[in-house]
Amino acid sequence: MNYTNFNIHEEFFVDMQRCIGCKACELACAECETNGQESMIHVNYVDRASTVQTTVQVCMHCDDPVCANVCPADAISKDEFGIVHTANTERCIGCSNCVMACPFGVPKKEESYDLMMKCTMCYDRTSVGKKPMCATVCPSGALFYGTKDQIQEMRPNSTPVNTFVFGQEIVNTKVNIMMPKGSTELIIF
Amino acid sequence: MKNKTYNIKALLIAALLSIFMIALVFFGSRKLQNFDAALVTYLFGTVFAFFGIVYRYTVWLQRPPTWIYFKRGITYLITGKVFSHFWFATKESVENIAFQKFIYPRGKYRWMAHFMIAVGCTSAFLITIPLTFGWINFAMAPNSISVYEAYFFGFKVMDFNLDSITAFLTFHALNWSSYLVIFGSLYYLRRRLTNPGLIATQSFEGDLLPLILLIAISVTGLGLTYSYQFMKGLAFDFLAVLHAVTVIMFLIWIPFGKFFHIIQRPAQIGAHIYKKQGMKMGMAVCPHTGEEFTTNLHIKDLKAVTKELGFNFDKEDGTSHLDLSPEGKRSRLAQAHLKARQQGGNLFG
Amino acid sequence: MAKLPVSEENIVTLFGPHKNYSPKEGYEGRDEPDQLVKTHCCFCGMQCGIQLSVKENKVVGFEPWMEFPFNEGRLCPKGVQRYLQNNHPDRLLSPLKRVEGQGFVPLDWEQAMTKTVSEIQRIQKEYGNDAFSMLSGVSLTNEKSYLVGKFARVALKTKNLDYNGRLCMVSAGAGNKKAFGLDRGSNNYSDLEYAEVIIVAGANISETFPTLTHWIWKARDRGAKLIVIDPRMIPLARTADIHLDVRPGTDSALYGAMLKYLVDHDMLDHDFIDNHTSGFQETLDAVKDNTLEWAEEITGIKKEKIEAAAKLWGKANTSFLLHARGIEHHSKGVDNVLGCINLVLATGRIGKPYCGYATITGQGNGQGGREHGHKCDQLPGNRDIENPEHRKYISEVWGINEKDLPGKGLSAYEIIEAIHRGEIKGLISICFNPLVSLPNSNYVREALEKLEFYVCIDFFLNETARHADIIFPGSLQEEEEGTTTSAEGRVIRIRQAVTPPGDARTDTSIILELAKRLGVKDKFTYDKSEDIFNELRVASKGGTADYFGITYKRIEDEMGVFWPCPEEGHPGTPRLWEDRKFKTPDGKAHFNPAPYKLPGEVTDADYPVILTTGRVVSQYLSGTQTRRIGKLVDQYPEPLLEIHPNLAKQYGIQQRELVKVSSRRGEGIFPANIVETIREDTVFIPYHWSGKKSANQLTPGTLDPISKIPEFKVCACHLEPLREIAPPSNESMAYASI
Repeated sequence: MNYTNFNIHEEFFVDMQRCIGCKACELACAECETNGQESMIHVNYVDRASTVQTTVQVCMHCDDPVCANVCPADAISKDEFGIVHTANTERCIGCSNCVMACPFGVPKKEESYDLMMKCTMCYDRTSVGKKPMCATVCPSGALFYGTKDQIQEMRPNSTPVNTFVFGQEIVNTKVNIMMPKGSTELIIF
Repeated sequence: MKNKTYNIKALLIAALLSIFMIALVFFGSRKLQNFDAALVTYLFGTVFAFFGIVYRYTVWLQRPPTWIYFKRGITYLITGKVFSHFWFATKESVENIAFQKFIYPRGKYRWMAHFMIAVGCTSAFLITIPLTFGWINFAMAPNSISVYEAYFFGFKVMDFNLDSITAFLTFHALNWSSYLVIFGSLYYLRRRLTNPGLIATQSFEGDLLPLILLIAISVTGLGLTYSYQFMKGLAFDFLAVLHAVTVIMFLIWIPFGKFFHIIQRPAQIGAHIYKKQGMKMGMAVCPHTGEEFTTNLHIKDLKAVTKELGFNFDKEDGTSHLDLSPEGKRSRLAQAHLKARQQGGNLFG
Repeated sequence: MAKLPVSEENIVTLFGPHKNYSPKEGYEGRDEPDQLVKTHCCFCGMQCGIQLSVKENKVVGFEPWMEFPFNEGRLCPKGVQRYLQNNHPDRLLSPLKRVEGQGFVPLDWEQAMTKTVSEIQRIQKEYGNDAFSMLSGVSLTNEKSYLVGKFARVALKTKNLDYNGRLCMVSAGAGNKKAFGLDRGSNNYSDLEYAEVIIVAGANISETFPTLTHWIWKARDRGAKLIVIDPRMIPLARTADIHLDVRPGTDSALYGAMLKYLVDHDMLDHDFIDNHTSGFQETLDAVKDNTLEWAEEITGIKKEKIEAAAKLWGKANTSFLLHARGIEHHSKGVDNVLGCINLVLATGRIGKPYCGYATITGQGNGQGGREHGHKCDQLPGNRDIENPEHRKYISEVWGINEKDLPGKGLSAYEIIEAIHRGEIKGLISICFNPLVSLPNSNYVREALEKLEFYVCIDFFLNETARHADIIFPGSLQEEEEGTTTSAEGRVIRIRQAVTPPGDARTDTSIILELAKRLGVKDKFTYDKSEDIFNELRVASKGGTADYFGITYKRIEDEMGVFWPCPEEGHPGTPRLWEDRKFKTPDGKAHFNPAPYKLPGEVTDADYPVILTTGRVVSQYLSGTQTRRIGKLVDQYPEPLLEIHPNLAKQYGIQQRELVKVSSRRGEGIFPANIVETIREDTVFIPYHWSGKKSANQLTPGTLDPISKIPEFKVCACHLEPLREIAPPSNESMAYASI
C-alpha cells in the first residue's frame, strides 16, 4: 500500500450539530478514487417530520472494529494507521453482517455488486498527505480534518471525544466527535 | 481481532483428508501404474496445497460468524423442500460461482477479464490435477495407429482420432487456458497499475504478485509447448523448471493468499440461502425509522455472534443497539449528541 | 411565430434536460489531468474558488482550491458537481433554427447570423428600435455583462435591455442606493468572525449559499448569537438562538417594531445618528405605533421573541446583518431592505471591524453584473442612464453621440408585459430562462408565443429557448476568460479551462459578430476579454462602482480585489464606510421610513393559504444547468409542497399525497411533505422546475414600485388534496418538465 506520506498528526473531527444537510460531502465522496462513483458517507435526516436536523457519518475506524470481527469472510482489515479498510472485493460475500453490526451504521451493501463498501478515510488522498474529500469540501465544519492543535484553537469550548457507549459496549475509535468541553464519552441511549 | 487461528481440530481434519487424498492417488492411478513420475514435484505441491486449504478452511469455518452461515446453509438445504432448496443452490452456484454474475455490475470489462481467468484456471485445474494424480491417462487404441483412448481412474471414457478437432482441442486445452488467463490477468494488472484507488490500497504480495504468478505460469506453460513444437526444444528444460517453480508457488500460495477466495466463494451461496430463509421467517423493523431493514434471523444471530466475539450491545431496558437499522443508529447517535450538546449549554465553540 | 415547433416531449427527447453522470470510475484522465485550472464556481454569488481538472480539452473533474481565502477548498454539492455541465450530452453544438412541425434543425453560422440580423433590422424598421428587446443574465462575467450593455445600446440601439438580476437583489440594490448611495455589501465576510450578534433575514444560507455557513459558524464558535428570520425552520434556524418565524409579507412590521424597541430603550448610537445620518426623525415617526403587540399580530411571531431579538441586537457591540431574496422578493422589497438598514444605522454598527451589513447576492456575478450596464436604467460603473453627466461620460468612452444613447427602458417583467401587449416584437436573450424564473409563467409563455422573432444564445436548450426562432450555441463559464465580482464585492478571475466544443462559439464572439453585422464594428474592437475589461475599467472610473485600479494581473496576484478601487496603487475596499463618507448627495447615510404595507396579494376565503417559494440546495435558479446533472437531480428530484401537520390535518392531507395547489393565475400538482418546520398558515414550494411542476405558475407578477422585483415570496393559494399518493420521488421526471 502507498502510505509513504500518511500524516499521522492529522485526525478526523466530526460535529453533526454543525451539519446543514447539504450533502456536499456525499457528492464529493464519489470523487474519491477508492470507491468509484459510489458515495460512502451518510447524510440523513434524523426525523424530517419534526426537524431539519441532519446527521453526517463517516467510518469511525474503531480500535477493535466490530465489522471486521463479524465478517465471515475475513474481508475487512485494519492497517497500522488504524484505518479500517473496505471489504476486500474478492473475499466479501455480501452477507451484510458488518452493515447490521456496526454500531455507527456505516458499512453499505451495494446490492448489485453483492459487495460491502465503506469509507476508507479517502485512503488515496490521506495516504499521500492530502485531506479526505468530504472534510475538504464540508462548508459547515461538521467534518474537519487537521491536527488536534488546530481544532483546539478553532473550537476552544469543545473537546474531541472518541469513546462511545452503546448499551454495555464501550467502543473506542480513531475518529473524534466534538463534544462540550470536558466530555469524555458519548452515551447513546 | 478477538479470534485465534491456532487450531488442533483443523490440523487433524486436514491431515486425515490429505492421507485420504494420497490413497485416492494410489488407487486412482492403478497402484501408480498410470502415474507419471515426471509430475512428482507437482504432486507434492498439490497435496501440500490440499492440506493447507483444508486446514485454513476448517479454521475459517470455526469462526462464529462463518459457522453460523455454514450451519444455517446446510440445515436449510437438508430440511423441508429439499428438492427446491437444491435447485435454488444449484441455480445460485451456476450464476455466482460459474459465471460470477455479481462482478458484471462492477464493470463489464472487469467481469470479462475475471471470467477469462476463472475459466482458464478451472479448466487447467481439471486437466492438470487428474494428470498429476495419475487419474487420467491416454493410450493408443489397440490395433490402431490413429485412435487415441482416454482413461479416467483406469476406466476408458472416450476415444478420438489423432487428427480430429477433438484431439486438437484436447491436447491444446492447457494452451487455451493459458491464453485466457494471460489476457484476463493483463487486464487486471493494467487496472491495478493505473487505477489510483487501487494503487492506494493494494499490496504487492496480496494483489500484484498473484497476477504476476498467473501470467508467469501461463507464459512458461505456453513456452513449453512452443519450445518443442516450433523451436526444437530450445530451453525446454529451463522452462520446465521455471514452470514447475511458478506452479508450486501458486499451489502453496492458495491457502494463504488471494487465491483462497476461490475456495471461499461458495459461502456467498450460503449468505443468499440465509437471506432467503430469513425473509420467510420475518423482517426486522427499525424502532427509529419504522421500516424493515433486514431479517429477524439476521439480527438474532448477530446478537449471539457479537456476544460470542466479546461485544455486548444490550441496553438496560432489555433491547439492543443492534435492533436499530443503520439509519436508525446514525440518527440515535445524532440525537444523543444533540442532547449532550444542549446539556453542555452550547451547540458551538 | 414563437410557439413550440413540435411537442414539448419531442424537444425534451432531443435536447434534454437529460441527467449527466460521471462514468463509474470517473472520467478518463481524471487522476492525471493535463492541467488544474484555478477558477471559480459557475453558480452562486459566493463564487467559491475551485480547480478544474482538464484533460484533452475536457473538464474531467475538480480539485479543491485550498488557498482561495473565502472558501479554502470548501464547496457545496452544486460546486462539487459543477464539472458535469461540461461533456454534457445536451450541449448545443451548432446553430439551430426553428422549423414548424420539425423542431429545431442545425444550420450554419452564416445563415443563422444573416437571418438574425435581417429580422432585427426588419422589426426595428417596422416598429422602431425599442420594439426589439434584449434580456440578459448575471451568470455572465463582468466583461460579457459590460459587452451586452454596450451591444444593446450601441448596436441594437434599444432602450429595452434588462436582466435576470431583476429577479434577484434589485430591491437590495435600490435600498442600498437610497441609504448609502452605493450598491454593494458593506463588508466582506471575514467581518462575521467576531460579530457578537448576527441577523439572517430571509436568507436560506445553508441551502443557497452553503459555503457562507462556515463564516457564521465561526462567529458562533466565538460566542456570537444568531437570529434567523424565516417562515420556515431552515437548517440555519434549527440551532439559532432566536428563530423569528415571520408570516410571509410582513417583514417590515417586524423591523419597525424592533426599531421602536431600540428607540424606546435607548439602544442607539446617538453620535453616529447625529453626525453621519439623516432622516432619523421621519423614520421614527413612521414606527411610533409599531408596538410589540402590534407586530405580533401582524407577523405572527410571539412578542417575547421579537423583544428578545431586539434586545440582543440593541446590546451588541459588534454585529452583522445579512439578508437575501426572502425579504427582497416582495412588492415592498425595497421597504424591507430599508427596514433592515434602519436597524443597522440606529446602532451605528457599520464601517467598523466586525460591524457589517450586506445583502447576499444570489447569482454568480449578481454583484458585478449589476454594476456595468445591462440593467434597464444603468450605465457602467453603476451610473444612471438618465443622468446627463453620466450619459456624456459613457458616450465618450463608447465613441458615440450622447443623443444616440437610449434612455431608461423597461424592466424584465415589464418587457414581458410589453411583448404581451404587442409593443415589443423581437427579443434576443442570453443567460436567462424567464419561462421558469419569472412569476406567472403561463402569462410569460403567452408573451413568448407572440414574438415575431426570438433569438437565443445559450449552451443548453433551456425551456424559454424552446420558443426561439434561432438559437446560437454559446459558451459555458469555463470556456472564456473574464472576471466576476462575488457577493462580497471581490473582483476575481474566471479562467478559460477549455474551448467550446463542436461549432459552439464563445458568447463574446457571437455578440461581436452580431455587432459587426449591425454595422458598428468600429465600436467593438476587442481581441480578448482583457481588452473589454480594460475598457470597463475606464467606463467605471469615477462611478460608484469604480474598477479603474483593478487589473487582471492584480486580481491574480492578490486573489481578488475589492472595489471601489479607483487607482492602480489603491488597495481595494474590503470594508466600506470606514471613512464615514457615504455616497449619497449629502454624504450621509439615510434613514428611510419603511411603514408596513400589505403584500400585493392577501389570503381570502377562495385562496386561504399563503404560498411562499424558494430554493433547494442541489438546484440552482431555473435549473438550466443543475436539472441536467444527475446526482443533483437525484438529491431533490421533484418540487414538494411543504406543509405543517396542523394545516395538513385540516385538509386531510397524507404524507406524499398529491395536492393541487391553485392561485388566481394557475395551478400545479405537488406531493405533500408534512413537516413541523414551517408556519401553520404557510406552504412552501421550491421553484427550479418548469412546466407542470413550476411553482411560478402560481406566483403573481406584482412588482415593487421602485425596484420592479416581482413578489415571488407571497401568494394566496388554495389547496385541494387529490386522494392519491404520489409515485416515488426517484421516478419523477420533473427535471425534464414532464
